[in-house]
Order: sequence, then C-alpha cells, then structure tokens
Amino acid sequence: MERAPATHAPRLSTRVAVGAAVLAALATAACGPRGSATHLVGFSQCNLGEPWRVAMNAEVAARAQDFPDLKIVFADAQQDNAKQVADVENFLRQRIDLLMISPNEAKPLTPVVERAFKAGIPVVVIDRGIEGDSYTTFIGADNYEIGRQAGDHIVEILKGSGAIVEIRGLPGSPPALDRSRGMHDAIAAHPGLQIIHSPVANWLREEAMAQMEMALAAHPHIDVVYAHNDPMAVGAYLAAKAKGREREMKFIGIDALPGLDGGRQAVADGKLDATFVYPTGGREAVELAARILNGEQVPQRVVLKTEKITRAGVSRHAP
Amino acid sequence: MTRRLGPSLSGLVGLAAVLLLAIVTSPMRNGRPVFLDVRNLTDILRQVAEKGILAAGMTPVIISGGIDLSVGSVLALAATLTGSLLMGGGLGVWPALALVIAAGCLCGLLNGFVVTRWRIQPFIATLATMSAARGIARYVSGGAAIPLGFGAGGAPESFRALAAPLMPFVPVPAVLFLVSVGAVWLLMARTRAGRYLYAIGDSEQTARLAGVSVGLHKTTAYVLCAAMAALAGIIHCAQLEQGNPNDGVGYELDAIAAVVIGGTSLSGGVGTVSGTLVGTLIIGIINNSMGLNNVDANLQLILKGAIILAAVWLQSRRAPA
Repeated sequence: MERAPATHAPRLSTRVAVGAAVLAALATAACGPRGSATHLVGFSQCNLGEPWRVAMNAEVAARAQDFPDLKIVFADAQQDNAKQVADVENFLRQRIDLLMISPNEAKPLTPVVERAFKAGIPVVVIDRGIEGDSYTTFIGADNYEIGRQAGDHIVEILKGSGAIVEIRGLPGSPPALDRSRGMHDAIAAHPGLQIIHSPVANWLREEAMAQMEMALAAHPHIDVVYAHNDPMAVGAYLAAKAKGREREMKFIGIDALPGLDGGRQAVADGKLDATFVYPTGGREAVELAARILNGEQVPQRVVLKTEKITRAGVSRHAP
Repeated sequence: MTRRLGPSLSGLVGLAAVLLLAIVTSPMRNGRPVFLDVRNLTDILRQVAEKGILAAGMTPVIISGGIDLSVGSVLALAATLTGSLLMGGGLGVWPALALVIAAGCLCGLLNGFVVTRWRIQPFIATLATMSAARGIARYVSGGAAIPLGFGAGGAPESFRALAAPLMPFVPVPAVLFLVSVGAVWLLMARTRAGRYLYAIGDSEQTARLAGVSVGLHKTTAYVLCAAMAALAGIIHCAQLEQGNPNDGVGYELDAIAAVVIGGTSLSGGVGTVSGTLVGTLIIGIINNSMGLNNVDANLQLILKGAIILAAVWLQSRRAPA
C-alpha cells in the first residue's frame, strides 16, 4: 500500500532550516560579551514581570553608562529558582568579574552564590537576601519603615479618625507583611482609625479594581484606601471613579516608580494622594560594584531611604 | 447524537444554589442585602466580562476536541498593542482596534495551522503561542505598561466609552460579554460550522470520512477564540486605562474552569456556550460574595476549589448519554 508522505511532523527540510537558524543565533550570541570593557558584571534578575524590577534593570543600565569600563550582562530568571541558578552558572562560565543578583528566593539561590563568592567573585545582593554571609554587600529598602510612614501619613490626613480600606499584596510575601505591619503599628495608638475592609489583590491593578468595587458596595463611607503598591491604589481609584466616589476618599500607594505608568505620575495626575518611594537600588548597586572592582571597601549592608511623594512635592522630583 | 442548546439542569441548580448562598450571607445595608443591589449585580457582570469572553471563545475550541492555552497571553498582547497604537499611532480608534483584532486572529491562525497542518497536540501548540505572544507583548512595550492618556496628544476620548456604562447600571464590557455569548451560541446552535465542530469533537475520523474539512473548521475555531481574546484585551486596556504586557497571567485556566463548570467536556463533542455563561456567573458570584464579606484570601482559594469540584461533580452525575 502506498502512503502519502507523513503529515504528522514538519517536513525534514523545515526542521533543518529551523535548526540551522537556532544554531546561527546561538553562535552570534556566544561571540564575546566582554567587548572593550575591562570588567564584566553579570546581573541576575529574578523576574522582569513586575514594573518595579523593570525599573531596577533600567536604573542599572542607565547608571552603567557612567562607568565605561563596566560591561553589564543581564539575565531574567522569570520567577524560576532553577533558571536563576542556571543563569548564575552561565555567568560563571562567561568568567564575570562581579555578580549582581536579586534572588527569587533565599534558600535555593544560596549555594550557587556561595560558589561564586568562594571562587573570588564579589557579590552584590539586591532587595531579597540570601542565607549565610557569602556575599560582599546587600542593598535593600525597609518595607516595615515604609509602612509605618504610610500609617503616620494616614493619621495626619484623617486627624486620628476614619474608615480605612487596606488592599494587600500577595499573602505571605515579606513586603506585603511588612507594609501591613508597619501601617498597623503606626495607627495602633488611634482607636478612631478603623480598617473596615482588607482584601487581597496580589499586587495587581486588575484585581484591586474588582476588590474595591466590592468594598464600595459593602461600605457606604470610606476615608482612605491604603494599597501595598501603586498599581493596586490606582486600580482602587478607577473603581471609585466609575462609581463617582473618588472624591470621598484618599488613595495612598507605595513604590513611586518613575515613568508614565508609575506612581509618581499617578500622584501628579491627582489620582493618588501620596506614594512612598521603594527604591530599587539599581543605581546604588552599580556604584557599589564599581567601588568594589576598584578595590575599595564597602559596607556589608546598605539600607535605602524612602521618601513621601505628594502632589505638592512631585514637581520637584522630575519623574 | 443529541445536542443540548441550553445549559444543563444541574448547571442551573448549581447557579441557583450559589445565588441563594450569596443572598443569605450578604452583608446588609438599610435592611437590604448588598449583594442584590443593582449596582453590585452589574459589577459582577463587569468583573466577569473579560474572562467570560475568553471562556465563550474557548467553548467551540474545546467542543471540537482542542484547547487554547494562549488566550491569557493574547489578551495581554492585545491590551499592549491597543495602548501603544492609541498612544503612538495617530490612528483613529476604529483602525487601531481593527489592527489589534487582526493581530489576535493571526495568533489564532498560527494555533490552527500548527494544530491541523503539523498535527501538533493543541496543548503544546497553544503553549508555544502562549509563550511567544507574552514575549512579543513585552518586547513591544519594553516590559512596562503603556498608560493611556486622553485628549490632545493622547488616546481619542471615544475609546473611554468602552469602559463607561452604556446606560446607568449597564457597563459596556458586560454588554460585549453577553453579545459574545450570543454570537457563539448562534454559531454553535444554528450554523453548519457549529454542527461540524460538534462532529469533529465527537470523532474527528468519522467527521473526516463524512467529508467535513476538519482542518478548516478547527482553524476557524482557534481564530475565533483568539479574536475574542483580543476583544477581551481591548476591554482590559480600556477598563484599566493601560496596556500591561504582564496582565492576564493564568486567565486561560479561569476560562477553561468556567467552560468545564458549564458542562462542556474536555474530551470534546459535548457542551454549550450557555453552559459556559452559567459557569462564568457561578465563579463571578462566588468571588463577589466572598469579597463583600471580606473573607480571608486563603480561605477564598480553598472555598473556590471546593465549589469548582462540587459543580463538576453535579455535572458528572448526568445520566449516561
């Protein structure tokens, strides 16, 4: 019996062509990442699905322009511990001179970072830590402190009494816990301030919008919406605006990212009453990396300061 | 072969049970349950509109024996393209939106081509598109969301209409959702193409032997599904006033859940889009009710899992065909 050529798989020629193209791409990519720069720095980012981390990468790239002898290569682990381990191993094979890493999770990344450090490669850890002390320096902000300042701001604008909706980030994540704890501690001394609704919106604008609609339906009066990040605060604002209730309450967020989709712009537009800077540390990381590679001593821990951004102040800080 | 045109009785029983539960547990305001407030009910329709449109588009694909995992990414790609075309293109609203829908259709065409020509499992083919569409969305926008500004130098004011209420209490996204369900219902219940999709899902071999051009009809289902995902993406962009390449993660699973709760079989050949409407409403009402009551988020996940299981169990107790 004669059969027609198999249609179950792409033709051989197609497969050969695709294979050749992939090989060619790999070969091009493999050609020396170092270029003319004298120091090769590998930056392993745990994921680029969050605007805040996109901003961190942008800061790193921008600040690196000022250090012509630094060549930075980037990797995005897409929220996958195993991929991030592989990314760092990749860097080691490329013989980097310094490792910058914002780990996805502490425990799974510790061994590979230790390996790099023990091999004599300085390590700059950003935002999320690793276990032990096999790194040169850690840079991060203090979420508890940011939450406390947001709480102080709420006490100030509500003069000690009012109804608060708290929109929370991913349950159990350290920033969500700390930003919540800080705010709760700050308002604890004012029994007139009550948290009447505290939904979870997993850091997302879309989920915050739906959760806020339910809060609006359930509560005839709300004074302040405190969201653990700016996208959720803006989502809540959009929900209130659709109901014509956006003037009834004030919206407070955290992160204050630059750019048109960032929190600073939302404050400038009058959507948010205030937002608090959660610095990415990207710029400082590059500066520290340059100092380390120059043989300078750097502190083992650098805590970045927050800053309150309000409409009055926003014009002073170019977005 | 018998095809039901409406949702199954057990689906309606499930919907009624969830409704009753929502009313009984609703917080009260001025002596009336908040849940039954007209504004809350239309909120629910708005809240489910995007995933509901995805689910409605997914239904013919699943009935034909396939699956489409790419809809969440296509939604994100469409939202991002909408933002970028409206903000940067200088195109009018309609040409921009037509381009976005066309981009969606292209994704569907790719899915259909790989599934029918290369004979790759739909799960794998659409998984590839899921990854690629997300990548393109991020590439186009540089990873950041594209915010919509309106007026001079920004997006045309008229785009706002997509997020505004059509009349008091009638959100446009909800209307588009119901229209989408209606359109898919017409396709599946009233046209030859619809009958062929049932036949293909029942037995692809038999359909082919009977002279149905299986490849064409399956591809049509994928294109329709992706076009509707693009529509949902446009609505997403209008509602959130931004095109975010990172949105819509996991939406495909919620859409599939709604289809399955609605009584459509993942093995193909059986199901209705009106069932999908019921499934979508069940999920929406559960979410809304738990939100109104400020139920703990972890408990919400557990309850939702239990209710999905209960709904599917009800469906599976149908008399054997």
